[in-house]
Amino acid sequence: MTEATDGGTPSAGHSDLSARDAAPRATDPAHPDPVVTVRSLSKRYGNVVAVDDLSFSLDRGTVTGFLGPNGAGKSTTLRILLGLAEPTTGEARVFGRRYRDLENPARRVGAVLESNDFHPARSGRNHLRALALAAQIPSPRVEEVLQLVDLIDAADRRVKTYSLGMQQRLGLAGALLGDPELLILDEPANGLDPAGVHWLRRFTRRFADHGGTVLISSHILAEVARTVDQVVIIDHGRLLAAARLDELTGGGESLEDMYLELTARQTS
Amino acid sequence: MTALLRAEFLKQRSTRTNLGLFATMLGLVLLAELLHGLGLPARNLDSAASQLRILGPGEIIGTLLAALLGAMSITGEIRHGTIRPTLLVSPGRIRVITAKVWASMLPGAGFGLAAGAVAVGASTAALRARGITIHLDPGDYVLPLLGGAAAAALWAAIGVGAGALVRNQAATLVGLCAWLLFVENLLLGDLTSLNAGRFLPGAAAAAISGQKPDTPLLAPAAALALLALYATAAATAGSTATNRRDIA
Repeated sequence: MTEATDGGTPSAGHSDLSARDAAPRATDPAHPDPVVTVRSLSKRYGNVVAVDDLSFSLDRGTVTGFLGPNGAGKSTTLRILLGLAEPTTGEARVFGRRYRDLENPARRVGAVLESNDFHPARSGRNHLRALALAAQIPSPRVEEVLQLVDLIDAADRRVKTYSLGMQQRLGLAGALLGDPELLILDEPANGLDPAGVHWLRRFTRRFADHGGTVLISSHILAEVARTVDQVVIIDHGRLLAAARLDELTGGGESLEDMYLELTARQTS
Repeated sequence: MTALLRAEFLKQRSTRTNLGLFATMLGLVLLAELLHGLGLPARNLDSAASQLRILGPGEIIGTLLAALLGAMSITGEIRHGTIRPTLLVSPGRIRVITAKVWASMLPGAGFGLAAGAVAVGASTAALRARGITIHLDPGDYVLPLLGGAAAAALWAAIGVGAGALVRNQAATLVGLCAWLLFVENLLLGDLTSLNAGRFLPGAAAAAISGQKPDTPLLAPAAALALLALYATAAATAGSTATNRRDIA
């Protein structure tokens, strides 16, 4: 991961934790381009600045924690990255292109932005079948992902009967339908029981070890510290740090301590 | 587009929403036709024009419920958040709205056809039960049935466009009900002197389906072309708005 170098600069970076210095990109020679590139990205809603000159990039085969307080601009950044919102200035690209310009994006990017993006009266299987039809993904893949997230026995139940953890897993199944190369997950551990959290951790690790890239937005710092290779921390829409986890916490401080220190500096 | 259409049809089949709308429509049409067929004085029902006129309420209900079906296909996605995974899989928003328009027009036509059939059947049964002679020939039922289906299909497209523009489900549904049941009737009255009321979309639907035979409406073919223009304009406005707006 690096801060994008041909765009903006970190606006309030921790001097010891500057992404440019601390996290040189571990480039895969076979895939030289970053999977995700956010460059000088800004988003304003009237007078409110949600994202402010944000730049970073992610390389293949990494698990990255996207951290920041509530209202820091994480969700807005993810929505722009996924083509659901337009930036005011700057750009956000996946695989070198705007999300909207990807051909059959479900085959390259899987994303879960909310834990309950389902019609409550539709079954889990039909939710996935509708997505698979739209993405032209063969229907046997629906059964595969249902099996993968352990929802096969509940697949014909209406989603409104699902627990929050089951809804999280159904969302993840939807993201995995196209066997994507990049996973973007917003608070994926919410509602999962300890076994589910453990499964998610192993899954994301295995996904990255096989060349996939994962971007996880989360508030659960202890879990993030056990899951990710690197972090991007933002507050008030600005980049605070983009660094590999071992380098960020190399001085013996925990991720939580560093996070609190960084966000406190930004606030003050 | 075929893939998107198949996905939209599956969404429609996989909840009971449309089934509920259809059952509601059948019940309301039946009620309206029986009330008119059994309640109006016999002297008001002894001509072909008056017997066609009492099909009108059933036709309007079919048109309205088709419009609600179209509106719910997009506002339901926004309400439940499924618009996000839908647009993540298919980022081409204009194509998504276009698929919703076509996927709503087909069941919309079914709503119109069924409403016409129930209206004809119920009103005929009610009149016969009262010993009133039926003055309508088989040819008189073409417009209520086929015209009603076409009008309902086009209003389903208008519903999709309105839903995409307004986004809030309750506001869209109330707005469509208010327009077709009240607002346009008020405007039609005010505009009759200008002869302009016949150009309104509800009046065009009435003309296509042979309602209000004693009201100066457009010829069915002209009304069909006009309503198709309204449907195209609504769908275009809805898809353009969806394309420009951020998805929360």
